Amino acid sequence: MATVKLTNVTKTFDKNITVVKDFSLEVGDREFVVFVGPSGCGKSTTLRMIAGLEDISSGTIEIDGQVVNDLEPRDRDIAMVFQNYALYPHLTVFENMAFSLRLRKLPHEEVYRRVTEAAAVLGITEYLTRKPKALSGGQRQRVAIGRAMVRDSKVFLMDEPLSNLDAKLRNQMRAEIILLRKRINSTFIYVTHDQTEAMTLGDRIVIMRDGYIQQVGTPEEVFERPKNLFVAGFIGAPQMNFIRCPLKKEGDRYFVVPFGAKMEVGQRKAEILAQKGVQSRSVILGVRPEHITAVEGERPYAFRARIEVNEMMGSEFHLHTVTSDGTDVVVRIPTLALSQEERHLFDAGSEIAVTFGGQAMHVFDDVTEENLCV
Amino acid sequence: MGSAKTKKRAANAAIYALLIIICILWLIPFVLILLQSLRAEPYSGMSGYILPRIWGLKNYVYLFRETSFPVWYGNTLIIALASALLQTAMVMLTGYGLSRLRFKGRRFLMNAVLVLGMFPGFLTMIILYYVLKSAGMTQSGAVPGLILVYVASSGMGYYVAKGFLDTIPRSLDEAARVDGATKAQIFWRVTMPLSKPIIIYTLLTAFMAPFTDYIFASYIAFGEPSGYNVAVGLYSWLQKDMISSHFTAFCAGGVCVAVPVTLLFLLLQKYYVEGVTGGAVKG
Repeated sequence: MATVKLTNVTKTFDKNITVVKDFSLEVGDREFVVFVGPSGCGKSTTLRMIAGLEDISSGTIEIDGQVVNDLEPRDRDIAMVFQNYALYPHLTVFENMAFSLRLRKLPHEEVYRRVTEAAAVLGITEYLTRKPKALSGGQRQRVAIGRAMVRDSKVFLMDEPLSNLDAKLRNQMRAEIILLRKRINSTFIYVTHDQTEAMTLGDRIVIMRDGYIQQVGTPEEVFERPKNLFVAGFIGAPQMNFIRCPLKKEGDRYFVVPFGAKMEVGQRKAEILAQKGVQSRSVILGVRPEHITAVEGERPYAFRARIEVNEMMGSEFHLHTVTSDGTDVVVRIPTLALSQEERHLFDAGSEIAVTFGGQAMHVFDDVTEENLCV
Repeated sequence: MGSAKTKKRAANAAIYALLIIICILWLIPFVLILLQSLRAEPYSGMSGYILPRIWGLKNYVYLFRETSFPVWYGNTLIIALASALLQTAMVMLTGYGLSRLRFKGRRFLMNAVLVLGMFPGFLTMIILYYVLKSAGMTQSGAVPGLILVYVASSGMGYYVAKGFLDTIPRSLDEAARVDGATKAQIFWRVTMPLSKPIIIYTLLTAFMAPFTDYIFASYIAFGEPSGYNVAVGLYSWLQKDMISSHFTAFCAGGVCVAVPVTLLFLLLQKYYVEGVTGGAVKG
């Protein structure tokens, strides 16, 4: 059992710079929670407050029901993996991993058992006698994870552990973290600025911006029902397209009219709009690049866009297009079903007609930027 | 292309020639002292020739058997070793404190030390003498007195040590804290092992200054030979009434002073360079 509960936690530096504001969250036992957000959003600071490396300006942090505000890191029973690994350069891999166990004066056999076990899991047994300097980035990161693993802590904190690795290694380590998480029964709190990591690793994602929590939810929730424009833009790659356009109410039905094309809002979303009593008004329409399709000829429900750049990504084109009023719209077109001639339709400079389905639309208030359909 | 190569060669030759000349000029005094110390002829004053007429270790035997030199040498070694150890402790602790801890007045303290450090230490000589005298640490008590003088303000020379400690990532401290280490355990188990170059650098410099000091040493011993260090003692042989009988012994003493320092530097020069260049240790 290890829960982490933060209640109205605030962090202020130098009396006037507040980096975390009124942060409240409950992390369940054995849950994997990811804090994600752009740099400077306060996610690392929050993690460091849980670790005890930063003081809390106000609010409380509880681990397993015990308030830990004034406890030193060593009394909190947490393990942490740092972004820059923070391995002790003068110690071998074995001693790096054994460091915390030796401080706790565990018997030698126990230290040996735990370190060799963790090393076997992480595949670093053959490097145990080396110094960190003689390891590659990925191996160092494994050692850092191993150092945290041997402790059997209640809570496992990870501060951007993969951001110093190259893209290929990052994917591999991400998969290993998922496996690792199944092996050890800890509660995980993971910080990243990478939305892919957040989506693939987290049971729940906490999206932060300027010290405030924007939304807490499962990957599915934050992807499909983003609470506001920021979350919608942050989660998903390439980013969601935003188009300012009118929303029209006709009886029980709602339509958006981007660039003269009239498209009906999906039924479930329309019901929510009706419940909220939303009338005809101007909104920001959000639609993900993968939900946009190209259509042939002139259709009333499609608008035209000129292709500026066509990025061939392998299985799909990423089209950077510009509409009549200069709005940028990114479109993803799968290439598998396209013939060679059809592919030329998407050359830079050509014009295409695009549309999207009613369920793919997100309708945001153009002033408060809140999602009107959730 | 060929001409570029020849040009480069010529330039290199010129540079090396110059360096060799500088080396010779640099080494001449040492060679002369060594040669003079090996003169075994009856006359032991200054001579007008370079190579000894009779070679021998007479001066060294005389030095250690019949003069106070062993006492001075002992004094100097005690002072230098004690100062080196204590001074290194002071410098490392001060450097660590200013590098790692954040407390009120830290900036002010560092600025104050910088300004105070601009005054030459000799300004304090007279008052220091009276203070030490009242504690019985002058003349024959000069050894502890000098140790006190060298160590007392040594924390002010923390700059190089702090600069080095600043390059040890703070995340190591944090990792150790999470791993369960106390501040003292972090200092001894993480920071100190990583600071080997700077510790050796500090030990060396802290050893050197007292080993060759003259001004404070002569002032505090104040004419009492049992409180002399080698520099003061040997210099007393260069006085008018002594030089004609003690010049070769003086040279032998000079050689004895140079040997341990030279050996230390040869053995530890790797660390010395690492210590000066600071950030050389990185994960």
